[in-house]
Amino acid sequence: MGNLDRRTFLAAAGLGTLGATGLLSACGTGGGSGTTIRYAWWGNNVRQQRYTEALEEFQRDNPEITVQPEFAEYTAFQERMTTQMAARDVPEIFWIASPQVMTYEKNGLYRSLSDIPTLDLSDFSDADIESFSLNGEFVSMPHGVFVPVVRYNETFLEEDGIELPGEDWTWDDLSEFLIDYSAENSAGRRAASYNPDQDMAFEAWLRQRGQDLWTAEGAMGFDSEALAEWFEWWRVLMDAGALLTLSEQEGMQPDWAAVGGDILLNFGSSNHIIDDAAMYPENRFRLRSAPVASDAADGHKFLYYPRLAVYQGIDDADVEAAGRLIDFNVNNADFLRTVGLTMGAPPNPRLLTEAYDFASDDEIEMLAVVEADREFDQRPRHEAPPGTNTWREALSRVSEGVALGETGVSEAADALIAEIQTGIDREA
Amino acid sequence: MARAVGRRRPSGAPGHRRQGRAAYVFLSPWLLGLALVTAVPLGASLYLAFTDYNILSTPRFTGFANFERMLGDDRFWAAASVTARYVFISVPLQLAFALLLAVVLDRGLRGLAFYRGAFYLPSLLGASVAVAILWREAFGHNGLVNSVLGWVGIEGQSWLQNPATALSTLIVLNVWTFGSPMVIFLAGLRQVPEELYEAARVDGASWYRRFRHITVPMLTPIIFFNLILQTIGAFQTFTQAHIISGGTGGPVDSTLFYTLYVYQQGFKSFDMGYASALAWVLLLVIGGVTALHFFLSKYWVFYGDD
Repeated sequence: MGNLDRRTFLAAAGLGTLGATGLLSACGTGGGSGTTIRYAWWGNNVRQQRYTEALEEFQRDNPEITVQPEFAEYTAFQERMTTQMAARDVPEIFWIASPQVMTYEKNGLYRSLSDIPTLDLSDFSDADIESFSLNGEFVSMPHGVFVPVVRYNETFLEEDGIELPGEDWTWDDLSEFLIDYSAENSAGRRAASYNPDQDMAFEAWLRQRGQDLWTAEGAMGFDSEALAEWFEWWRVLMDAGALLTLSEQEGMQPDWAAVGGDILLNFGSSNHIIDDAAMYPENRFRLRSAPVASDAADGHKFLYYPRLAVYQGIDDADVEAAGRLIDFNVNNADFLRTVGLTMGAPPNPRLLTEAYDFASDDEIEMLAVVEADREFDQRPRHEAPPGTNTWREALSRVSEGVALGETGVSEAADALIAEIQTGIDREA
Repeated sequence: MARAVGRRRPSGAPGHRRQGRAAYVFLSPWLLGLALVTAVPLGASLYLAFTDYNILSTPRFTGFANFERMLGDDRFWAAASVTARYVFISVPLQLAFALLLAVVLDRGLRGLAFYRGAFYLPSLLGASVAVAILWREAFGHNGLVNSVLGWVGIEGQSWLQNPATALSTLIVLNVWTFGSPMVIFLAGLRQVPEELYEAARVDGASWYRRFRHITVPMLTPIIFFNLILQTIGAFQTFTQAHIISGGTGGPVDSTLFYTLYVYQQGFKSFDMGYASALAWVLLLVIGGVTALHFFLSKYWVFYGDD
């Protein structure tokens, strides 16, 4: 230390700075003169690999565009987005987690998609584009379609020599069947997992009662009575021993890999069959549309769209490249062939038809159920309003309280509605 | 000695100033880190605590509204209760266990280094994701604990999905990471003068009396040091609760640690103003509890020069 003179120190510091600058420069530029687009998505390992492969195919076809993939697991994805938004460092193209769709919209995170010349919308009807719009603006693009389903293990049914109720089943039919199945099946299986926080099943329940999850005005579209009845439907099954206990399913988010071999059926989104069935290759899984109340309201069927968007802060010079990548994502059969159908049926009607040519058995099962629901007249569906980011966690928490007997169904319904309303009021 | 004094330069001499500047240059990475990574965010969060800030829009000053909101927030009180129970149960248990093991190991066991390393290992891993996952599996419905209970005919349940037992499993996890205070206790035990024990033995004092009247009083500065460290650490517990409850703090908020609630508000609800206010309340509580410890220490901590 005592031997360090100023000249030596400054020389060392200068060299160090030079080296660091060079290193950072090398990291930052990527060495090319073309456009770089960051593409952010979520999923599991398989989806990560398939999308990475598809993005590489896109770059081979578009050598002037470099795609920087930003992948994460679903929860981590949202947390990273939060940090990126705070830093105003959002990827040019990003998938949107469903609870955040309108929160992002309110805060102007989306760039309009209607003026991007490289995004071809000719396969979509005006009605399609209208249904994709948020508050009348075409600012996000669906890249899949889900519908609410009941997924059942056909192999188990065959082993037990039992048949499901008919296709026109009601909630009461299903409830009776689940109780009987649990009591009578030879393998001692429970009929289902405890899953009242499955949002699409809950939405189907509400719409059949003429209510909605959310209204066009950004309010809750359901009342405490409908919610309490939903909890009651599940509580009856739980009390009858038709469902896994919270202990058996290790909480409100059962791991399918752990419980899939112990239950006959579960509620979910139509796309989940593709990943979930692969975990039990010796079993055949089938899909059914959710039960329908005998007095169901008109137009209760609905389609759910997972969406992607372009960040409003994108450089104007990069917009056409981003459009080309989205076009590849939503209009190109090669893309679908590479990534598979884990994000549901393609929203593009042409691709929906073409997808049957390369779809697996499980994917065909999913395509068929989505296609069947698309045929129905549907009243509009609205996304979760700002301030409701955590409504699904809240639903899960109060459902847990009901299952554990800590809360009555009416009390749970009132508590959830009050919590959601508080969030909406705070954002208003 | 005379030469050394002779070589010392006056503090204002050019050589001394040059060395002083060099020292600051070498300290600068840490100083920059302190300023940019700690001080600036700390100041920013203090400001945000008085605002309504959702990350996406400009913060709006709301005065003490966030702090008033806490009073009527049931989940805030649930989180405070869970954390308080955790701190006041797990820290004394952990320290008692660490002290007991340290005293046992200090009796000159063969293979002491091995035992010391083995017992210290959980401390290194304790706050890690891997150990939290291991804990989740061990205390799950089909986990190791229930398997062992099954051998003696007891049918277990998921210890983590029962609100009555979920927090206890996390307390056990914290107690299990007793290695760090144990190593510090071991070092402290080596400093206790042997002649005190010899004199006590000559007077016929039993092992318990020697422990009670020599070991514990002589170790009180070390106990105090460990108490402060472990209490602050326990207040900040996050990883284990996040992993084991899947980030929910469940079942029914029975493992909703305070830091987990701060995180939920900030990064899930986008309520960063409220989250900042919550974080500052935690800081003040930790500061208050630490100050209380220091105040009470004059009644029970024995320093050799007292």
